[in-house]
Amino acid sequence: MNTLKRIIDTLLAGVCAVLFASLVLLVTWQVFTRFLLDNPSAFSEELATYCFVWLVLFGTALVFGENGHMAMDFIKNRFPLRLKMAVEIAIQLCVIAFAAMVMVRGGLSSASLAWNQATGSIQIPLGILYLALPISGALIIFYSVYSILQIVRLGRPLEDIPGAVRPEVAE
Amino acid sequence: ACGSAAGGEDGGATKTLKVAFNQPEGHPQFVAMEELGEKLNERTGGAYDIQVFPNELLGSQQETITGVQSGSIDMSIVVGSLMENVNPDFVAFDLPYVFESSEQQMSVLNDPEITGDLYSSMEEQGIHVAGAFHSGVRNVYTKDKAVPTPSDLSGQKIRVIQNDTMVEMMNLMGGVGTAMGQGDVYTAIQSGVLDGGENNELIYNGLKHDEVAPHYTYTQHLMVPDYLIVNSDLYEGMSEEHRAVFEEEFAAAVDSEVALWETSVEEAKAAAEEAGAEFHEIDTAPFKEAVQPLVDSKLEGSDEARKLYDAAQAAK
Amino acid sequence: MDIATTLALVLLFGVVTLLALGAPIAIGIGLASAAAMMVGLGPENGMQTSAQRMFTGTTSFTLLAIPFFILAGVIMNNGGISRRLVDAAKVLSGRLPGSLAHTNVVANMMFGSISGSGVASAAAVGGTMGPMQAKEGYRAEFSAATNIASAPAGLLIPPSNTLIVYSLVSGTSIAALFLAGYLPGILWGLATMVVVAVYAWRRKLKAQSPGSLRAGLKVLLDAVPSLLLIVIVIGGIVGGVFTATEGSAIAVVYALLLSFVYRTIKVRELPSILIESTKITAAVMILIGVSSIMSWVMSYAGIPDLIASTLLGITDNTVMILILMNIVLLLVGTFMDPTPAVLIFTPIFLPIALGFGMDPVHFGIMIVFNLCIGTITPPVGPVLFVGARIAGLRIESVIRSLLPYFAVLVATLMVVTFVPALSLWLPGVAGLMP
Ligand code: NA
Ligand code: NA
Repeated sequence: MNTLKRIIDTLLAGVCAVLFASLVLLVTWQVFTRFLLDNPSAFSEELATYCFVWLVLFGTALVFGENGHMAMDFIKNRFPLRLKMAVEIAIQLCVIAFAAMVMVRGGLSSASLAWNQATGSIQIPLGILYLALPISGALIIFYSVYSILQIVRLGRPLEDIPGAVRPEVAE
Repeated sequence: ACGSAAGGEDGGATKTLKVAFNQPEGHPQFVAMEELGEKLNERTGGAYDIQVFPNELLGSQQETITGVQSGSIDMSIVVGSLMENVNPDFVAFDLPYVFESSEQQMSVLNDPEITGDLYSSMEEQGIHVAGAFHSGVRNVYTKDKAVPTPSDLSGQKIRVIQNDTMVEMMNLMGGVGTAMGQGDVYTAIQSGVLDGGENNELIYNGLKHDEVAPHYTYTQHLMVPDYLIVNSDLYEGMSEEHRAVFEEEFAAAVDSEVALWETSVEEAKAAAEEAGAEFHEIDTAPFKEAVQPLVDSKLEGSDEARKLYDAAQAAK
Repeated sequence: MDIATTLALVLLFGVVTLLALGAPIAIGIGLASAAAMMVGLGPENGMQTSAQRMFTGTTSFTLLAIPFFILAGVIMNNGGISRRLVDAAKVLSGRLPGSLAHTNVVANMMFGSISGSGVASAAAVGGTMGPMQAKEGYRAEFSAATNIASAPAGLLIPPSNTLIVYSLVSGTSIAALFLAGYLPGILWGLATMVVVAVYAWRRKLKAQSPGSLRAGLKVLLDAVPSLLLIVIVIGGIVGGVFTATEGSAIAVVYALLLSFVYRTIKVRELPSILIESTKITAAVMILIGVSSIMSWVMSYAGIPDLIASTLLGITDNTVMILILMNIVLLLVGTFMDPTPAVLIFTPIFLPIALGFGMDPVHFGIMIVFNLCIGTITPPVGPVLFVGARIAGLRIESVIRSLLPYFAVLVATLMVVTFVPALSLWLPGVAGLMP
């Protein structure tokens, strides 16, 4: 399981880096075409927008892998050890519930409803773009199951497990 | 989901149809839909009512199509170009110079003889098309001078919707089509990044573009309709009697919307003139000729679309 | 119980419970909203519509400016650009009593003028200024509080991610909002400097020994290429030469080129810079995604109308309504981040404000100023969290020192609310107010 997590972490980070780099190139290209070639491109704008949504969804999974989404934990931190562990497991179950119901289940039905809807300029079926939701959702579920197993196996709250919680990132 | 059994006169609950709309309250289509709701409520003995959610409160037009499909939204008003994404044949009624007047447009689009299978083509995907609303005529407005002929547009950067077809259309008309989000257009014209834009009179005046681009030329290049789409299960679930009332009252709403639109255009023109704008009537024939290659290429793939286009032309 | 009340209760109870337990804020908002959606629309449609909202809520070319400004910020932190700005701030405010604390404020304002984020500012500036102040005998709690209180000024001084989000929901021009943010943002900084001045006077703090004029000039000159970024990017956006998204991409390219010139960033470090920026971007954008679920379900249930009519039922006096709105927003800001709060509350309050003739640009500055105060209040205060952690202090111990800052900031909020010219004068001069 640890090896699998490392592989997924690396893959996900790689995909995100590529998506972000493509975004920079696409928008820079758009500025370039508008100013220097006098030939504005509507295509790059749409493609960039969808790269961006994918980046956000995969990036979200990446941050869940580090338990790094912003949370207020000062109440939880005053709980006795066992209660704290129980609460942490409950939180992971909430994450799983959201990822399973909204991202996987809802994402799949959104994808199938929009399967025949083309997007404006690039004419990719919108349904395919929606698939980022269930994929990211499945990864988040994996990470949460992994976190629960760690709490149970090591008998410690996530916070006391080295590397399980990264400092939260926020804007 | 809620209140699937519509009763009304026998004391059942009123089914409030939720309508997604992207424009503000006070827009002719909003007013017409509210009127439709009142009439529907009255004539179905309280079985149905309508609640319109303006300002994209229920999501962008693109999203609301899916919402109507799944039934989480009952109805939505959606622009023709987005309907093309569901059924490409809708392109026939979105092409430049396909209609000459709002009357002709409405009579064609609300005539089952002409629209044929187009409106029922998406029932399996959950979409019933009730019909079309007029949504204005797009014309070019510019900063420095009027543009009575394609050569006057030469070299002028005109803002168009972010869509390659629109860019191509403006290029054929003689200008340089420049795709840009609407929020940036005012400043872009002011600073000279753009030389103008193209839109109907309501938006021209509403966004105060009349202040920075005072020459409004009636090129009349586009008259893209908006469609009222309804969740097909909901529509089929209506009793025949209620459905007949709905159809009758929708037809009345279309007429009243066209009238409201005309009044709004007169008001917008007066306000724009107050702000210093000038309106120029021109002969549109050279522009029409210029965009013909685009029309032909768009109709190329589909016999069905060609048939619809020809029928609209014949109805002039 | 009618559907609006049911959904409102599901939302409120769900969010409060989940956040109190310590669930990620995105899950608190997202799960509670999805639950309300499922109650209102049935499970199948509820899940589908929630998913769609989450997806489309982030589908916008305008919002794309946010990851670029974040990336530019990360590059500038790694590339020595931020350090040059802090050095320049030291020269500019070095002659005032309590100069190190003043420098902290000025550095936060300068940092804010190249970055769209308050947290980044608190971390970068606090990290360098804190130890210097400790050496000069400033109380650690005071230093941390000064850093925390002044960091959000950068959320008003353009570029500003929160103003970009407001522009999107309100349909107002980003260029006008950016210009409108300058004076209130500077006023925010000056307000915190008043507290510093009083502290310095009471504790008889000294000014730093002024360095030589030559050395000072050299530091300022050194910061010029970094400051030029503001002129190019903000100037270009405000002047309408390019859009905010295009401007943000130019900021990335410029910061990258400058870092290559300074030889502070190597090409092989780029992947890790992109991944770090992805994480910050995702943490912000996921909140926008789940807030889109919440705003949909609130509209569907008619909750905005309910709030609006309640507000208008209490009073029809414009001044009172504005004060009530500000109180509601301050409360909202204590437990909600500015970005989701702007997304959810703009559609509720803006129509009321427009109703009595308030300008939407002015309203935007008011709502963002208000919610920025929330970034430094518990229980959910990202700038407070980061600022305290950088200083190695517990949140409880910083809060006492923050109290005077809250007082002056709320007073400044009142000035921003009731003096429209403060927000509208600059965009008016630039001809951006149609
Ligand atoms: Na800023
Ligand atoms: Na707060």
